[in-house]
This record gives sequence, C-alpha cells and structure tokens, in this order.
Amino acid sequence: MKRLALDELNLEAQPGAFAGTLMNSSRDLVIRVCQGDQEAFRLIFDRYSRPVIGFIYDMVSDRELAEELTQETFVRAFRAIHRMKPETKLSTWLFGIARNVARESLRARTRANMQVTLEHESVMDVSDQEPVPVDRLLSKELNELIRRALEALDDDKRLVFTLKVFHQCSYEEIAEITGFSLAKLKTDLHRARAEMRRRIQPYAGVGYEV
Amino acid sequence: MKCESCQEALEEYLDGELGDREAREFAAHLAACSSCAAESATFGAEQDLFSRYDRDLAIPSSLWEQIAERTAPPAMRPVSENGFGARLVALFRVQSFAFSFSTAAVLIVFALVIYAVYFKTRKPKAVVAETAIPQESIPKEQPAPVPSSSAEPQKHIALSNQKSVRRKLHAVKAINIEQSDVLSSDFGVQDIDDQETAKHIEQTQNLLQSIRNVKLNDNDLEIDVSYDKALSRRLLNENIVLRRDAEMKAKYPTKMLLSDLEPLLIDIANLPDQAKPEEVRVIKDRVQKTEIVAALIGY
Repeated sequence: MKRLALDELNLEAQPGAFAGTLMNSSRDLVIRVCQGDQEAFRLIFDRYSRPVIGFIYDMVSDRELAEELTQETFVRAFRAIHRMKPETKLSTWLFGIARNVARESLRARTRANMQVTLEHESVMDVSDQEPVPVDRLLSKELNELIRRALEALDDDKRLVFTLKVFHQCSYEEIAEITGFSLAKLKTDLHRARAEMRRRIQPYAGVGYEV
Repeated sequence: MKCESCQEALEEYLDGELGDREAREFAAHLAACSSCAAESATFGAEQDLFSRYDRDLAIPSSLWEQIAERTAPPAMRPVSENGFGARLVALFRVQSFAFSFSTAAVLIVFALVIYAVYFKTRKPKAVVAETAIPQESIPKEQPAPVPSSSAEPQKHIALSNQKSVRRKLHAVKAINIEQSDVLSSDFGVQDIDDQETAKHIEQTQNLLQSIRNVKLNDNDLEIDVSYDKALSRRLLNENIVLRRDAEMKAKYPTKMLLSDLEPLLIDIANLPDQAKPEEVRVIKDRVQKTEIVAALIGY
C-alpha cells in the first residue's frame, strides 16, 4: 500500500520549505503534520472545521454534541494522519472519520427521542396555522424546517443527502466516505430528495411545483 | 434523448455526475423539451432552497485549544496520553472511581502479601512432616487387621481405623525409602503437596470408613462422636487448603475428589458430641450411597 512519500519530497532539506502559501495545499499540510508541525494541523483545522462540524451537526442534530464530536474527529485525524493514503482527498478522509465518530455516537444514543416521523407535528407545524410559502419564511424558520425534515430521514439517507447537497461531494467521494456502493448511494440519495421534497412541499409557494 | 431517459438521469446531470458526451446530449434535450426543462428548473429551485440552509454554527475558540491539548507532542507532556501508565493514572483522576480503585489496589496488594506469607510458612512444615514421620518406630510388615466391630468403636469409632491407616501410610513411606529404584509416582506421591494430599485422603478415608462401618443400635440413646467430630474439623480445614492448592495447580481430579469430601466432613464436624443414632445414620447412608470411600481408595 502506498503511503505519503515524505523522504522522496525531502522537504526538510529545503530551506524555507514551509514558507509561503504554495506549501499550504492540503497535501502539503498533511506532510507537514506528519513531520510534527502542529501549526500545519491548526491550518487544517481552520480550513475544515466548519464543514466537519456542519456535517456532524446534520447527523446528530445536537449543537454541543457536534462540537464534542468535531473535537474527537480532529484528534483521531491527527493520530491517524500518517496512515493516510496519498491519493486520498483530505476532506473526504476527514468526512470519513467524522462519519464514523457520528455513527458511534448515534449508536450510543437512544434514538427513540430523536426519530421524528413524517406524521409528527413538529415536522410539519413550523408555523402556527397554515403553511407559509418558502419565499415568505424567515430564514430562521426555513432553517428549522430543513433541519426537522433532515432529522426525519433515516441515517443512511441523511448521510448521503448531507454529503451531496450540503457539501457537494461527488458520488465517488460519498462512496469512499460511506463505504456504500454507487447503486445504493444513488438510490438513497434519490429517496432522500423525494422525502425532503415531500416534507417541504407544503411550504413551497408558486414556482416550486414538485 | 427521450424524456424518460432524461428524467431518470436528471439528478445525475444536475449533480455533475454525467460524462461530457452525455451531459452535452442532456443539455441539448433540455433546450428542446419544455417539460424536462421545467423539471430541471424545479430541481434547481430545490437546490437553491437547500443552499440557503444555515445551521448557525460557530466554531468556539476553545475547540482548537482542546484539540491542541489532546494532540500536543509527547515531549510537551510528561507521559504519553496513549500510554498504559497514563490511562491508569487517568482512572485514578476520575473522582468517582479514585477511592474505589485505590482501595481495590490496596486490598489486592494485601491479599498477595498474605498469600506469599502463607506459602512461606506452609512449605517448611511439610518438609518437617516428611522427615519426622519415618523416625517413629513402624513395623515394616503389614499388621494384622484391627477388628472394627468390637464394642469400643461406638465410643471412638475412628480410632482403630486411624491406627491401621497410619500403619499403611508409614508402610508406603518405608517402601519409598527402601525401594529407591522404584518411581515414587507408582505410589501416587510425587512431591510434598502430593504426600500431604495422600495423607489427608487416607485419614479422611479412615474416618469415613469408620462412619460407614459403625453398627447403630436403635436402643442407644446417644453415640459419642466427639473424637470423630474433632478429627473431621481438622480434616475439613486441611481439605479446604488442599483443594485450593489442587485447583491452583490444575490438578482437577484431586480438586474434585476433595470437593466431594467437604460436605461430608462439614456434616460430621457439625454433629453434637453425643449424637443421636439417626443423625449418624444419615451420614452413614450418604457415605454408602456416594461410594466416596471407594473413590478415596482409588486415589
């Protein structure tokens, strides 16, 4: 199995090798972390902490827990970074770790209180009375609507939907992160979109015929 | 491209997952087909809606600090966080466990010390016993069997058999001494512990035989079993120690035999000094039913 070729690059031998933005590509940052550069890991954190915490939050629907799991994700990433394959995209690799961390947490938690079915009032009754069209919803209400609809998806569907729609991962990357086959992730993604559409449809105004 | 194929591949097209040639065909179809174009627009609106999703998540500054603390290089910390020692120390740091873990550690150390002291004090005794016994004047020839059905046994029913067993034991030892070319394992005696066990089993066999052979008369109001009771108590204590030793040394047949003896020894030890005939009969019947004496002879 191929590993990062640190010796071949011989970065340490080059004076000022770490200076400048050219050395701040994800791959270079990984190499620097492998060489014990803590600051490089700080840069990785700065670059990826927001998407990672967002992804984890989408999976666990709990702000404090998401922070805690983000911390765990980056700690695990730091400890395993020297085993990262050179051909792997850093973001994909981090999402893979985050997915494992979130999944472990979800397994440990009682899902009974988290599962919100379509029939559950909290999903549909964002407003007090009749559904308000999307274009008139306040952003806070829209966020709440999407969050609850997302929460009602099952774990696999929520996972692929989040990675595709919110993080613009390719099918190949999603397959790498989740370990799902291409066929499964396409099916899950299609069904997740259909479910999300059905839940949001009552709030869709003119021009959102679905 | 037909509308049907277009709708099937719409998601993949909008996700940017189609190849160049297919994507060009798709775009051409959308330009020509208003129905599919509308479908595509709806999908686009949906994507736009989701792109407005804001989780309102902030990255607290403490998050990096905690990560930095956990990922600090080993040189910065006295002990590696992954190390066994650090994890052990961490256990004691948890307040709720600190007291119980400390107590448990102290108790384990205390138990080990007692165990070591016990073994140190026990082994020399066994050597003394081994050397002391042959010094007694023992007839080398097999003695005539002592009648066990005399009138005396009802008072000290184990006494006569104990003498014969002692003679047997000494005879075995005499053979060991005299026939040095014969393997000691032929007699089931391999080391000091085995000798102790053999001696113990013979004494117990003697006691149980005396119980089994006792003739109970319904006219007797009481039977004096004070000697048997005292002997049983001593044998019981010995039995427990030997059984544990056998278990530790994985001598499971010996351990099982000694385990079988214990209930009987307990019952005898719990008899009153002046036992009623039925109390003795119960034990006698159990000795007969379990055929424990045969098992002891077989050992």
